Amino acid sequence: MFKKIGRALTVSAFSLLIAGAAGAQEKPKVAFVPQLIGIPYFNAMEAGGNKAAKELGVDFIYSGPVDTNPVDQLQIVQSLIDQGVGAISVSVLDASSIAPVVKAAEAKGIKLFTSDSDAPESGRAVYVAQATDEGLGSTIIDELVKRVGEDAKIGIVSGEATASNLNAWIGFMQKQASAKYPKLQLLEPQYAGGTAQRAAQISTDLMAANPDLKAIIAVASTTCPGVAQAIETAGKIGSVIGTGYCSPNTARSYIKSGAFGFSVLWDPAQLGYLTVWAGKQLIDGKKFEAENKVPGFNQAVTYDAQKGILLLGPPAVFTAENVDKFDF
Amino acid sequence: MRQLKDGIFSLNGRELALLAACALAIIVFSVASPYFGTPGNAATILRNSVELLLIGLGMTLLLAMGGIDVSVGIVMGLAAIGVGRALGANTDPVLTALAGPIIGALLGFVTAAVVVLGRIPAIVGTLGLLGIYRTAIFILLGGQWLSGLPTGLTVLLGTSLLGVPIAAFVIVLAYIAVWVALRRTPFGLHLLAIGNSEEKARLSGIPVIKVRFATFIISGALAGLAATFYVASYRNVEMTIGSTLALDAIAAVVLGGTSILGGKCSLVGTVLGVLLLRILQNGLLLMGVPSLWQPVVTGGLLIGVLSVEVLSARLPMSQLGWARR
Amino acid sequence: MNRVRTLQSPALVLSLLSLLWVIVIVGLFALKPSVLSVGTITTVLQFSTILALVSLGQGMVILAGGAGIDLSVGGTVSLSAVLGMLAVKAGLSPFFLPFVCIGAGTALGAFNGVLVTKLRILPLIATLGTFFVYSGVALSLTGGSAQSGVPDWLLWWGRGVLAGIPVPFLTIAIPAFAIAGVVLAWTSWGRWVYAMGFNERSARLVGIPVDRTRLILYSLSGTLAGAAALFSLAWLGSGRPNIGQNLELESLTAAMLGGIAVLGGRGGVGGVFAAVILLVTLKTGLLQLNVNTVWQVGIVGALLILVLLADRFSESWR
Repeated sequence: MFKKIGRALTVSAFSLLIAGAAGAQEKPKVAFVPQLIGIPYFNAMEAGGNKAAKELGVDFIYSGPVDTNPVDQLQIVQSLIDQGVGAISVSVLDASSIAPVVKAAEAKGIKLFTSDSDAPESGRAVYVAQATDEGLGSTIIDELVKRVGEDAKIGIVSGEATASNLNAWIGFMQKQASAKYPKLQLLEPQYAGGTAQRAAQISTDLMAANPDLKAIIAVASTTCPGVAQAIETAGKIGSVIGTGYCSPNTARSYIKSGAFGFSVLWDPAQLGYLTVWAGKQLIDGKKFEAENKVPGFNQAVTYDAQKGILLLGPPAVFTAENVDKFDF
Repeated sequence: MRQLKDGIFSLNGRELALLAACALAIIVFSVASPYFGTPGNAATILRNSVELLLIGLGMTLLLAMGGIDVSVGIVMGLAAIGVGRALGANTDPVLTALAGPIIGALLGFVTAAVVVLGRIPAIVGTLGLLGIYRTAIFILLGGQWLSGLPTGLTVLLGTSLLGVPIAAFVIVLAYIAVWVALRRTPFGLHLLAIGNSEEKARLSGIPVIKVRFATFIISGALAGLAATFYVASYRNVEMTIGSTLALDAIAAVVLGGTSILGGKCSLVGTVLGVLLLRILQNGLLLMGVPSLWQPVVTGGLLIGVLSVEVLSARLPMSQLGWARR
Repeated sequence: MNRVRTLQSPALVLSLLSLLWVIVIVGLFALKPSVLSVGTITTVLQFSTILALVSLGQGMVILAGGAGIDLSVGGTVSLSAVLGMLAVKAGLSPFFLPFVCIGAGTALGAFNGVLVTKLRILPLIATLGTFFVYSGVALSLTGGSAQSGVPDWLLWWGRGVLAGIPVPFLTIAIPAFAIAGVVLAWTSWGRWVYAMGFNERSARLVGIPVDRTRLILYSLSGTLAGAAALFSLAWLGSGRPNIGQNLELESLTAAMLGGIAVLGGRGGVGGVFAAVILLVTLKTGLLQLNVNTVWQVGIVGALLILVLLADRFSESWR
């Protein structure tokens, strides 16, 4: 009996292992660890990374946790360090808990850097940023004020309360609001976790609690469908504007129905490409210039040497007019 | 024969207490917030209870039988993928709607096969299946959510028959069907007998395996039905779908007076338990309590209600056979 | 006495787990010889520590029967870590941090024990309730943000490695398992635990203080969760309000995989230890080979079912 089970397990394990081990060659390896796998945003980054890997002649490894659990993320980074890949980029779930692996990577001479979500005081090599946290926070507030005016009440629905990059964006939204639009009233952020259902429930409750609500911001891309759906179901299209950081493909039908006024995002595939490019630069020991030419990019990519940030560019704003031009 | 005191007209102590709690919560919130006591908000609370009501119904049956299923939320997720795919391919709406319960029933069959035939305790077996089903969701979705699906199923929620949404009809029908099955058919008697003592049930000739299979299949089908409504209302299937539903459902059902030891259940209690949870979540948010406190309320309510019941039963005036074990 | 010891280490489960472990190691080695290094061992043990501590508590609670289970372990870890850091922030000397974490864990565990033994709420439900409460309070108190300010000497302990073995694993996980193993196998108190798990009614009849023993076990589960919280602080350098996420299900998996009978009275801590190491090795191995992480949850689930099936069928054929 045990032999049978053992054999079955061995066979299945081996087939998995072989599938995983195939294609290992002696090219430099660049890895990217997202916050969570199985969501369209990071999938697009993976696609961009794969494209870069092909064009730049590196191996690209994409591996991330199935729950937004920082310990699982840490374990993945640690195993990449043990494997001895050349460079590892992480979209950190929690800026404070990445410190142990930074030291371990240093000890093995592996370039560890952040991408998409930063850990500024961890000693990472560089941060590949889609946009500055400040730019993201203020863009969405500025765009909203254009549509609902300065004298408005706005709700915020985020994903996990523990995600440090989302919390940073919310912080800059609040800063921008209090600095530039004193009349604007941002409600306390609410947290929906990862499910559309919870996001919808919280959004409907928010709209009921604040009949004068003018807009809801979906901070995590996982909350976009829920917020939009709540606005549609409550029959509030036109009186409440939804928005958030979500890809054109996720937001398209909501932008068309009017539930979403617009959506703010960058091209995650480009960010993935830039991440792998930066990893290759680090492995080759090349320094970043103030302006970098990256193959396939129309504009030069700027580098802020003081903060150690490689910047993709300003975020794009998707509206009903331009949303169909994008596919990611 | 206490287990048969399940009537709609004769409420037992717990049900009365929950009803009172609901009423009290409604009064307090109506006074505290001008936006609570509106028809629109009532509709919101009901709409947000749909999935939990259906999954809770299945869970009530499972617990009454002495079983449990911690994978039921993920089963809903898998069924939702089927419904979403059918919807995206513009399949006939009736077929699309039925895809949910059918897939759910099939998965319920799988669960039953593992738990009943493998003779593995339900909590461990479904824990293992939870992992397997999650991997299946990841692979089926492959990183892309089904989003912006067509509105083909919105009829289920929007259209009303005599002023009542179809979803409400379906849920009421489901509860009545289960109530009849429990009270008027041998299936119900057998199910509760198994919950009381599986050994005795087997010895007295009850087809234990068949009944247990049927219950898991019914629970799966109800989760699948919930999936149909989920897709109809959110038109989106994301990879984390249903991840918190199983524990929420267990909390609501136990709150409603169904014992996890089996042999005793209350459908009215389940409905009231779900509604009370949703009313509290909605009302507290309306009063400005951050949503992060919602799980604390769920857990506190669960512990509070059970503690009060136990403590009050210890008072000298009500010592009428509270031998719980 | 003899009987208890055979009960404690169901040779079957242990050998099955060891066999699986060898299969994983050999498979790994065959496919990627570079994997087998001291570094990998350090990694596996480092990531085993939290799960090992929590699973030990979970295992003992289940072992004592009475439908014992502790769903609140993850919440206890999160809340203990958060309370510890909040206390430091409020001005407490960091010297007391270990006492606050472990004390908070013990108190939270004892509360579970009171609910179960004094109020006679079924363990699954009582700890489901406290799971919601503990994890919710940890998030609400902090608004979700990580709490920094762990003293350096604690980091030095938490990140230290001695001869390839992480210091925390050496100083808390191994002693905890050793003590638990010895107490369960060779003391009368340990025999009480097995006796009440095996048949609670007769245990009561022969005068074993079942309720008191059970209360202690739930408190111990909390203590171990508090120790895990302390380790998480010392290792990560911050108190995370969701550090215990998913631990309830993972520890349950480890305990069941380790051969603890779900109804209690059978199994031992050695099996739990083996199961934890197997689970973490498997996870690490799959990661080392760059197998997509989506397979992890499914493989662990299938493993759990297969091991239980094997156990069940071997029982009826014996």
